Amino acid sequence: MKDGLRQSMAWVHTWAGLLVCWLLLLVFMGGTAAYYRHEITFWMKPELHAAAAAPATLSPGQSAQLAVRTLQERAPNATRWTIDLPDERNPVIQAAWQNPPKKDMTRQERRNALRDQNVTLDPTSGLPTAKPRDTRGGDFLYRLHFDLHYMPAIWGRWIVGIGAMFMLVAIISGVITHKRIFKDFFTFRPKKGQRSWLDAHNATAVLALPFHLMITYTGIVTLMFIYMPAPTKALYGDEQNTMFSDVFGNFERGQPADIAAPLADIAPMLQQAGRAWGVTPSRVAISHPNDAAARVELYRPSGQQLSNLEPAMTFDGVSGALLSETPPVSTALATRAAIYGMHVAHFADPLLRALFFVCGLAGSAMVATGALLWGVRERQSYAKVVANGGRVGFGVRLVDALNIGAIAGLPIAFAAFFWANRLLPVDMAQRASAEANWFFIAWGAAALLAQIRPTRAMWRFQLTVGAVLLAGIPVLNVFTTNSHLGVSLFGGPGLRPVAAFDIVVLILGALLGWAAWWLGHKAKQKAASKQPAASAGTTSTMEPV
Amino acid sequence: MSMLFLSSVSLAFSAFAAKGIVMDRHYADLHGRGKAPAPALRMRMRTLAWLGLALSFAACIAARGWHVGPVLWCGILSVAAWTVAAMLQYAPRKVAQGAWIGIPAAALTTALLLLP
Repeated sequence: MKDGLRQSMAWVHTWAGLLVCWLLLLVFMGGTAAYYRHEITFWMKPELHAAAAAPATLSPGQSAQLAVRTLQERAPNATRWTIDLPDERNPVIQAAWQNPPKKDMTRQERRNALRDQNVTLDPTSGLPTAKPRDTRGGDFLYRLHFDLHYMPAIWGRWIVGIGAMFMLVAIISGVITHKRIFKDFFTFRPKKGQRSWLDAHNATAVLALPFHLMITYTGIVTLMFIYMPAPTKALYGDEQNTMFSDVFGNFERGQPADIAAPLADIAPMLQQAGRAWGVTPSRVAISHPNDAAARVELYRPSGQQLSNLEPAMTFDGVSGALLSETPPVSTALATRAAIYGMHVAHFADPLLRALFFVCGLAGSAMVATGALLWGVRERQSYAKVVANGGRVGFGVRLVDALNIGAIAGLPIAFAAFFWANRLLPVDMAQRASAEANWFFIAWGAAALLAQIRPTRAMWRFQLTVGAVLLAGIPVLNVFTTNSHLGVSLFGGPGLRPVAAFDIVVLILGALLGWAAWWLGHKAKQKAASKQPAASAGTTSTMEPV
Repeated sequence: MSMLFLSSVSLAFSAFAAKGIVMDRHYADLHGRGKAPAPALRMRMRTLAWLGLALSFAACIAARGWHVGPVLWCGILSVAAWTVAAMLQYAPRKVAQGAWIGIPAAALTTALLLLP
């Protein structure tokens, strides 16, 4: 090869990045939002906000007892109950059950049934709250970032996985090709055209490199059984589930004895686990309740370790005796759990979670600036043509249009999803799917408009629409809920996630608004200094469009 | 916990600031075109910067343990580096002044680490 390593890596970096950048932007934005998955879900169910306004007065033991009482009324014959006790991120008591599967139920029917088999309890009274509206909440964004939508999940995972592998290639080749990675460590020079875009790309990429590498690599590892099936195939053939139960051990719930037996009081078990761990369990799972073979599993809340496999204690559901604690797992499994845990960051306290969120935004900015850079650079080769009244090539036009549709269009899609949550009729059929559809209707419209007219005016228009929609959410809340900022800021700690959501979308909206203003400001400056027409070609390299 | 977190952030900022203000480009921004820092000054600042980063790491470990501490440290480093990069462009003198926060932060961290 005649070129040096650096030049060839620059080629790899450019094309590996450009090919998948729009997909990666969706994945990065969805994943970043998913750090606040539970908060978003809670925000999207305003019916629950009233219950969370008062500080919880029940002890964890009382909460669990009340949840068990409700489950006894609603689903005494279930195969499994799960109870999530209130904590910082989830201010209410959540109880859910699984009925014995009917013979000829499809997967989709089972999933739909599960959606109705849960009840939310007020953390102060233990009584069921008002029924929340049908929404997938933050789970939609979480799923979107690796399952995509409107296609079988397995396709989405393959597409996202290939995107992530390209991303890993782009990161590594980017580090190799960056000549002045240490000399330019803190360098950001604004108002210098391509130089500034490159500086911004470098700053968002290099200064959060540990995060970008970690999130991309761990993201691929979370789905490694899909991308690297050979070891499983070789050892287990088609019996993948045998492998899962061998390795993870939590697929076997035991068989019911089919002899009725009353369930033991759950509060002493919580106390026992709380004494052993120094922290009260956050999750209770009861298999085969009211059966002689009932088992109660208590899970430690995350926060102590990176691993997403939290230690659990299993109690006999009839006698209340401690049966077992989670045995220490093998090194290989512990490593995988730590890698998986790093990606999903369940361990993160509010500060660390905020850092992850900011790094995720930086990742989105890295992808966006990278995509813009390609257009800025390519446009230079058309400088003369454009100055003489010609047009840019098809490739540049296409990339410009895709950039507008992704970078300015995606915030519109996210905002539309949240607006749909507030504006669609509460008792609408298939409401949760309708919300998701609005995400794609808004995104599709933005992408289509961008393809029709990929101009600077379109950038400004879409950025402005995104800004207004996002910053308008707190205003919309005033008219559609009783938990707008005026209430949530002064309410109990349970309303903090709601207030934080409103403030964050307000800030993001303001940032988009600033970007739109900046573009307009640039355009005016350029128009003012446009007396010598020849200079237009060179100055236009400053802008993405 | 939060005191350790704050001092870790301050130390990381201070360390990057110390490193930044003796880098050629930023030194010239501060002291005029063509000026370069004396080798002794550069060496001293770099040593202080590494010390600051090490102490900031120690503070994270003390705050959140060996599992989560290193992850927290990486996040703090990113945010501190962005702050320094932005300030070197828009308020370079403030970087040199702000770097002093590392001294009380180092004292506080040492005290918190040594206390039982």
